[in-house]
Amino acid sequence: MKKAEAKKKRVKEFQDPYTVTGALVKGNIITKLSLLIMGLGNIAHKQVIKGLIYLAVEISWLVYMIQYGFYSMSMLPSLGWREQQKVWNDAKSIFEYTAGDQSSLILLYGVATIFVTFLFIIVWRDSVKSGYKVELLAKEGKHINTFKEDFKSLFDKNLHKLLLAGPIMGVLVFTVLPLLYNITMAFTNYSKIGDKLVLFDWVGLANFKKILNIKDGIGGQFYSVLGWTLIWAVFATVLNYIFGMILAIVINRKDTKAKGFWRFCFVISIAVPQFVSLLIMRTMLQPTGIVNTLLLKYGLIDKALPFFTSATWARVTVIVINLWVGIPYTLLQVTGILQNIPAELYEAAKIDGANAVQTFFKITLPYMLFVMTPYLITQFTGNINNFNVIFLLSGGNPTGVGDTAGKTDLLVTWLYKLTVDKSYYNLGAVIGIMTFIVLAIVALVTYRNTTSYKDEEGFM
Amino acid sequence: MNSARKKVTNVIVHILLAILAFIWVLPVFWVILTSFRGEKGSYVSTFFPKTYTLNNYVKLFTDTSILDFPKMFMNTFIIAIFTCIISTVFVLSVSYCMSRMRFKMRKPYMNIAMILGLFPSFMSMIAVYYILKALNLVNGSMIRLALIIVFSAGSGVGFYVAKGFFDTIPKALDEAAIIDGATKWQTFTKITIPLSKPIIVYTVLTSFMAPWLDFIFAKVICRADATQYTVSIGLWKMLEKEYIDSWYTCFAAGAVVVSVPIAILFLITQKFYVEGMSGAVKG
Amino acid sequence: MKKKLVSLLLVSAMAFGTLAGCGNSNDSKKADTKDAGESKDGETKDVSLTVWSPQEDQDTGWLKQQCEAFNEAHPEWNVTFTYGVCPEGEAKDTVKNDVEGSADVYMLANDNIPDLVSCNGLAEIGGSYLDDIKANNSESIVSSVTYNDAVVAFPFTSNTWFMYYDKSVFSEDDIKSLDTMLEKGKVSFPITNSWYIQAFYAANGCTLFGDGTKEDDGIDFGGDKGAAVTNYLVDLVANPNFVNDADGAGIAGLRDKSVNAIFSGTWDADAVEEALGENMGVAALPTVKIDGQDQQMKSFMGSKAVGVNPHAKDMEAAMSLAAYLTGEESQLAHYEMRNVLPSNTNIDVSDNAIAEAVADVMKNTSIVQPLVSKMGNYWSPAENMGKAIFAGEVTHDNAADKTEEMNTAMNTDAAAE
Repeated sequence: MKKAEAKKKRVKEFQDPYTVTGALVKGNIITKLSLLIMGLGNIAHKQVIKGLIYLAVEISWLVYMIQYGFYSMSMLPSLGWREQQKVWNDAKSIFEYTAGDQSSLILLYGVATIFVTFLFIIVWRDSVKSGYKVELLAKEGKHINTFKEDFKSLFDKNLHKLLLAGPIMGVLVFTVLPLLYNITMAFTNYSKIGDKLVLFDWVGLANFKKILNIKDGIGGQFYSVLGWTLIWAVFATVLNYIFGMILAIVINRKDTKAKGFWRFCFVISIAVPQFVSLLIMRTMLQPTGIVNTLLLKYGLIDKALPFFTSATWARVTVIVINLWVGIPYTLLQVTGILQNIPAELYEAAKIDGANAVQTFFKITLPYMLFVMTPYLITQFTGNINNFNVIFLLSGGNPTGVGDTAGKTDLLVTWLYKLTVDKSYYNLGAVIGIMTFIVLAIVALVTYRNTTSYKDEEGFM
Repeated sequence: MNSARKKVTNVIVHILLAILAFIWVLPVFWVILTSFRGEKGSYVSTFFPKTYTLNNYVKLFTDTSILDFPKMFMNTFIIAIFTCIISTVFVLSVSYCMSRMRFKMRKPYMNIAMILGLFPSFMSMIAVYYILKALNLVNGSMIRLALIIVFSAGSGVGFYVAKGFFDTIPKALDEAAIIDGATKWQTFTKITIPLSKPIIVYTVLTSFMAPWLDFIFAKVICRADATQYTVSIGLWKMLEKEYIDSWYTCFAAGAVVVSVPIAILFLITQKFYVEGMSGAVKG
Repeated sequence: MKKKLVSLLLVSAMAFGTLAGCGNSNDSKKADTKDAGESKDGETKDVSLTVWSPQEDQDTGWLKQQCEAFNEAHPEWNVTFTYGVCPEGEAKDTVKNDVEGSADVYMLANDNIPDLVSCNGLAEIGGSYLDDIKANNSESIVSSVTYNDAVVAFPFTSNTWFMYYDKSVFSEDDIKSLDTMLEKGKVSFPITNSWYIQAFYAANGCTLFGDGTKEDDGIDFGGDKGAAVTNYLVDLVANPNFVNDADGAGIAGLRDKSVNAIFSGTWDADAVEEALGENMGVAALPTVKIDGQDQQMKSFMGSKAVGVNPHAKDMEAAMSLAAYLTGEESQLAHYEMRNVLPSNTNIDVSDNAIAEAVADVMKNTSIVQPLVSKMGNYWSPAENMGKAIFAGEVTHDNAADKTEEMNTAMNTDAAAE
């Protein structure tokens, strides 16, 4: 009830009286014309530069569409069909080649065109509204902003437009667009199977059916990889958190000497690039690595420990080594928060006669959990996508004789293997989407229930 | 009696800490030892090297025949500096908007950003390559620009930590400034930024590190252009079958060379780092 | 306001970008047809060629020297070269991401051929070029660059592995049998590497695609003969004198004398010589005693070659350069500067012990590494088998089952319908 009200309020807060439908229904002829010729309304009302910018956007979009856009879009349904042709040239004693279609590029350009057009539509809506707005303002005899005033507002009322322009553009072009392209790949047969690396077609949901079918060779592995990914993420997150917290508390004890030195020892590992430290550990833990060599030499074991060669050992090893990687981060984080716990809470507990363990479970832990839930969720999702630790340490091994996914492969490393090593781009894309769905469910459900998210809602 | 028990606990705690610290430092220590090791190859039967030498460092910086490490170092350094500037500006801008401004697309943007962060980024690396190619950035020295873009373009998504920090700066300060006639731009640059040292340091540090750590994207973008390689491609190459035997100790030396500046930066700024991170979750 | 400006920039950037991208490809197409018509005798044409080779070829100056010599030998072209670094074994990984943007002429390991052909990365060779290849190379080398009945690259060296051993430990007689060697000294073998492990299976009559070309015959690593090999390998890894060779463990062992023999290729020659000095011995593969019978181990034999990109702007010059780089003089220079054994049969290298051993391997102890598309299914199961054996997960009890499992996996597409 309350939430709905809040929502209504928010909608109202940002409501815009100048709508496209308004322009269409109530606008004068110039406003209506500016539906076709962008910026016309602005130019007519002395906002010449603004109007010209709108017009320039429209023209560049049209030029783009005529030169490439319409062609790109028209190729999308078929994804190309012309094969590379070769002709024997006897005089030169060579085959001469004419390039054929390349479906992956057709797909990329097609998606890019739709994407550009979508952005254009946003600008178009904006221009129509803007034209309608100046018309109304002029009618009411109100002040119409000059270009200079518009520009100035970018540093004040519209500062967010100035500040967000760069970051949003970067994200749109280099994150969103590639992502959309990749998602579309999941609906094609772009794969080494059947030699579909140059020319491929749409196949609808076939790949999803395959991955979700437990009886299929790949599908069967999907569920086991998914299972291990979740187990891994839970263990990696929870253990890191608990041990990191205990360590921080121990170091922060009143009686611990040389706090800075201890913290330094643990934190120094962050400074070494992960791929270096992990590769070094991998070498150290090999059957002929230094750890086994030394243990054998001193007679502590009589057979090399199978750190990465036995499934159970490998799983435990990666979780333990991940502790080495992760605990310093938790330590840093928790140290800051520990110092923020109100001292009264501890004093009150002392008066009640609580011992250290009770204090921990009654005060420290609940406080930490309260404050750190968003961090934990980020950690959890980060661990599901923890490519480095698995890829560099175990490489997903050990792998069953007939499998593509190893016993320690996460969805994300499996995806890497399927696309980069095996060239099953379509299946890789499906797994990427599935990983995302798992993550999104976990993240949205938990995140929406955290205090900080709810506080956000009532902000201001 | 009580104090005796306390003493025992203390001793145990310190011993425990010493053991754990030893485990944590061990691999790092081993890298350093290896970088000074006289014997070649990746496999050794003793923990301490039999002979010590500085040659690994000398070779790393002078033997440019197979792997031009000095060049890679400079490439990475340049890329890291620009990446770090752009990323920091992006992250601070977005965080400030999300924390202090109110506009229609704010909530949707925050949700979308969180969702985007959930996709594994290398999934789309080929598409990123082709977009850069379409912008004519994949040849010659433009590759550097391409890599800067790759490492910094997406930074607008990772604003959560910095936003959390900005949220903890009292809004009364902004309001006072605005009453005094300051524009939002002025409040941002004159009030918020000076108060945000910890989070700026945190952002600078994390974004400066990214180009040194990535070992996937750089290779996809550089392809065969060895003059544009970054340090991590070089280190990675040293572990390839053909090179591992003669370059392994240099690999360790390279790792030390890369880690030292990061470690120093990190130690100096550790305090800010902690503050930046804890600010984030105070909510 | 700003947002609009940015959107404009974005749109125009995209437009120009795509314009530039498409523009390039159109240009190249036009250039192709124009050149064909225009190239007349006596004119010098400006050509630019991109060449990719391993770093060592550039460091030693071999590539540059050869390219410049090529330029002089062909007055009809004035070639500007651009060099890039790409090890032969990584050609497919680098090329397949962007074939059009890849080098005009590049070096490759022959096992990259199926992948490169399937992404339109290799131009077929015909006419006089083909005749030269066939005239100057052994039949097995020619077949190593033939795919789908077409020769698609110019070979310049063979690519296989053999044995390095310590002469002070093993006699000439000892090295004939792996089992004798294991009694007398420590032997290191990369059992977890699928390029090597098949030597044992091939020894006992297991086949890959019949003689290596019959795709429909599939891989035959199963049955009793396969299981017998697996059982042999289970015993092998349990032998205290056996050391697995991974991440350079073999060479390191030679150096500190904890290993007396390793199996590797020409690329390790210098390191082995440094480790063993005068005692360095080189030989073809030994036999192994499986089920009481002495069987000859057989390594994969492939080649390294120079390929031409079908997207090359000037196909004639590119093809000619590729031929030049693998010609007799170039191979000789390659051999002298970098110890790359020539594949050209006219070059006499009989004074070189390694060349002798490789010749012996090629003739007696190798099989041609099959170049069929289904070969792609061989590698992972074989590697996983090696790893499982080494980890002790395969025992005499389950050897037969595991072998069968491997064989099935090798004969099915992991992602087939």
